[in-house]
Amino acid sequence: MTMDRRTVLGFGGAAVAGVALAPGMTLIAAPSPDKTEASGDQRWAMLIDVNKCETNCTACTKACRQENNVPLFGDANRDIHWIRKLEIRDKEHKRPSVSLPVLCNHCENPPCAHVCPTEATFIRKDGIVLVDKHRCIGCRYCILACPYKARSLVYKKTSFPEGGNPNVPIRAKGVVEKCNFCVHLVDEGKEPACVQACNGEEGNKAMVFGDLNDPKSEISTIIREVKTQTIRADLGLKPHVHYKGL
Amino acid sequence: MRSLQSHPVRFTLLLALVWASVLVLSHQVMASGSSGHAAEAHSHSDYTGGPPELEKAKGEACIRPTDWMRRNHMDFLKHRRGQTVREGLRIRSESLLKCSECHQSHEKFCDQCHNYVGVAPNCFECHIYPK
Repeated sequence: MTMDRRTVLGFGGAAVAGVALAPGMTLIAAPSPDKTEASGDQRWAMLIDVNKCETNCTACTKACRQENNVPLFGDANRDIHWIRKLEIRDKEHKRPSVSLPVLCNHCENPPCAHVCPTEATFIRKDGIVLVDKHRCIGCRYCILACPYKARSLVYKKTSFPEGGNPNVPIRAKGVVEKCNFCVHLVDEGKEPACVQACNGEEGNKAMVFGDLNDPKSEISTIIREVKTQTIRADLGLKPHVHYKGL
Repeated sequence: MRSLQSHPVRFTLLLALVWASVLVLSHQVMASGSSGHAAEAHSHSDYTGGPPELEKAKGEACIRPTDWMRRNHMDFLKHRRGQTVREGLRIRSESLLKCSECHQSHEKFCDQCHNYVGVAPNCFECHIYPK
């Protein structure tokens, strides 16, 4: 068999194109990783657009309660809220009151972790502040230390709620719990339940969740371009829940 | 003495009556005794006199050799627990979800031995055993 010059050149071109495509790319889909680990390359954060958040919308709080089996004891002093809606009024009535969700701010300098005597509260490599309920002795120092009132003690024995989420354990009586940015979802590459709900049908698309260390992420772009604030920035805790339009 | 000697028939009758009552009483005592033993045996029926029979696992082989698992599963689980909570290290092929694929019920597997040796790890007071 003989090939003319054009055919030979054509094969060569295809081979070169194949090599050029190859680096960093695989034609077969990579299998889902067996092992995932929190890494310091990421810094998870949340951005809440206060102007979009509506007063009577509770999509985020409902979704959080459902996802994390957060118990209600029917006693306002004991009830646990990982995320709650607050209304902020201007005392001089110069600005309209705003409604905003408040949750654990996942501070870079978390006072709750500093006071914890058993190192149950700690900051994970990717910036999520967590409570290791296996270690918590329920001393409640952290509840006092937190300026955002994000933490609650489980005052009573709880049982698994009907229609609850089996992927999240309930908490034993006498440990402190709080928002964990839905760490089990984040590790799966998903967004926290409140953000999913806010961007879903019920919500008003006021929340963005993402990686601050990735300059191309949506949250980094917004924080770079628009003025955002954090609550009680004066304390120097470097919280990672940012508010826009506060 | 005189009266007994004078009434030999009456004496024989009395003796027969005593013998009969002794027989009947002893029978009753034996019967009640054996039923008492049965009740005792029933209350200790958890104790079978040896290691408990565990539910047979579904899969081919465990992720570690069985005798290694028997000795070290507690440290292994605790180590993995710490890694998962603190470092976010999630290994799908060695997660509790994987355990539950073969050992489908913690009541028929974990709890059997734990009850036998009298230890009470409280994992499943909070965690829901994956189904």
